[in-house]
Amino acid sequence: MKRITILSGKGGTGKSTMCSSLAVLLSRTKKIVVVDCDVDAPDLGLCLGVKDKDYQWNPVETSYKAELIEKKCIHCGKCRNICKFGAISWDNEKKQPIFNKLLCEGCGSCKLICPVNAIKLVKVENGKIGQVKSKYGFNIITGQLKIGESGSGKIIILIKNKAEEVAHKENAEIILIDSAAGIGCPVIASVNGSDFVIAVTEPTPSALSDLKKGLKVVEHFRIPYGLVINKFDINEEFSKKIEKFAKENNIHLLGKIPYNKEFVNALVNLTPAVVWNKKFEPIFEKIIKKIKYFA
Amino acid sequence: MRIAITGGKGGTGKSVVATALAAYFSQNKKVLLMDLDADCPNDHLILSIERKKEKNVYVMIPDFDFSKCIKCGRCSQVCMNNAIVSVKGKNPILIPEQCNGCGACAIACPVKCIGESQKTIGTIYSGKKNNIELISSDLKPGESLSEFVVNAAKKFAEPKEKDYDIILIDTSAGTHCDVISAVSGCDLALAVTEPTPLGAHDLRLILELLKILKVPVKIVLNKSTVGDKKLILKIAEEYDTEIITEIPYEKSIVKAYSKGEPIKHKSIEKIAEFLGRK
Repeated sequence: MKRITILSGKGGTGKSTMCSSLAVLLSRTKKIVVVDCDVDAPDLGLCLGVKDKDYQWNPVETSYKAELIEKKCIHCGKCRNICKFGAISWDNEKKQPIFNKLLCEGCGSCKLICPVNAIKLVKVENGKIGQVKSKYGFNIITGQLKIGESGSGKIIILIKNKAEEVAHKENAEIILIDSAAGIGCPVIASVNGSDFVIAVTEPTPSALSDLKKGLKVVEHFRIPYGLVINKFDINEEFSKKIEKFAKENNIHLLGKIPYNKEFVNALVNLTPAVVWNKKFEPIFEKIIKKIKYFA
Repeated sequence: MRIAITGGKGGTGKSVVATALAAYFSQNKKVLLMDLDADCPNDHLILSIERKKEKNVYVMIPDFDFSKCIKCGRCSQVCMNNAIVSVKGKNPILIPEQCNGCGACAIACPVKCIGESQKTIGTIYSGKKNNIELISSDLKPGESLSEFVVNAAKKFAEPKEKDYDIILIDTSAGTHCDVISAVSGCDLALAVTEPTPLGAHDLRLILELLKILKVPVKIVLNKSTVGDKKLILKIAEEYDTEIITEIPYEKSIVKAYSKGEPIKHKSIEKIAEFLGRK
């Protein structure tokens, strides 16, 4: 089984558009499982015609928050300056700590320093994991971070475990993973353990700069990867610059996708581009051919 | 006045709006622009500002003195990030990528054999052009603590704030800790979105977050001429806010954007006028 992850660094370069079209085409000849690891803003389902209410959701608890047991507190103030995340402030009247739930990382330092066990760590429901069978036949696994909670990375690990479980049950050959924008903890959790990464970029200085940072993460994990330039014709000159960068760094160019308003129309109609308009099929087929060669 | 530019979905045009506003205001105001998208900071590219390094951002990670270690495994037990592996009878092993520098292991160690060492996780840069000063946060690839770099940049900028007429804060995509750190304490947030089901879906999430953080918000509708505006109007009404400007999908705008220049458009002036009334 191969785990293929789509990454971009910069947001809005077309990861989910790319992922939905690749998923539909791949699923015609192979058993696949599709995973949306953008738990901050999970949109992949929408690209495949699935709405939030269609999923079967299960709550997850991957985060802890500190809580004070007031009657045990001896007001010693040892917890006052221990928090590295700025989540503890001091109530001067009651002479006891106040925990800011939005900032608390649940590390337990305050609990450990407290001499009288007046602080406990409480497990909190910080998100949910969803599963649905799409109308194209394959399963989609997704997750959603609860607003204001932390722990995206840990939710992503659970989503990926779930995807592995489903993939094994179904004898799937490919797990196709859509990651979040950026290069931080959610992206690291998404990319880790992949067999191949598809980096999607567009011909703008911002996208190229973000791509380079994203690729450093991929290289950090020593995962082979290839590049797709989306909307290449909005600035062909800059696209050539990206191609040159790819060539100089021995990066495989998997394909170039033109800008077309029809991609937006496909999105608005919650339909993958290759289903919305068959003329897009050869573009993505070509990319798949190259992935098969390199992955 | 501190204005955050955010939006939930990636690629809706946060940096485009932030830089365009900075360029517009700089004609007669002193602008402090904070690029708090530490994962992918781009404002310096769009504004052609050369950044100079101000300082590195560190976290303190454990440094074991194995001559004192009794191999009890307590440090590994208390680590909520699974950053310390301990096998019975052997010295503990640190996985630095997993460590968030919380220091719980050092507190728990019964023989106090855990000290601290610095790990660089990012850099703060600054740059100036005309009336704009840019503070840029930049996460080191392979590191995951974006919000630490964001917080460090915010702290670095704090003493400067009084010298500026307006403070613009550009955030990353998404709704998690780095966005929370960036928008906290702002007087107003602009949620930049696009009229697609994806834009609408993620707009709802960021509006929900801003409600929890008690930051007032107005909507900037980018690429307003593609997709379906009704999707956004419905959400605006639901969250008791409004669309204050619409940026069309126009060739001139796309061209400026793809070249990496701040856009000039009457829709940006409209935001500035709105902010001017505040």
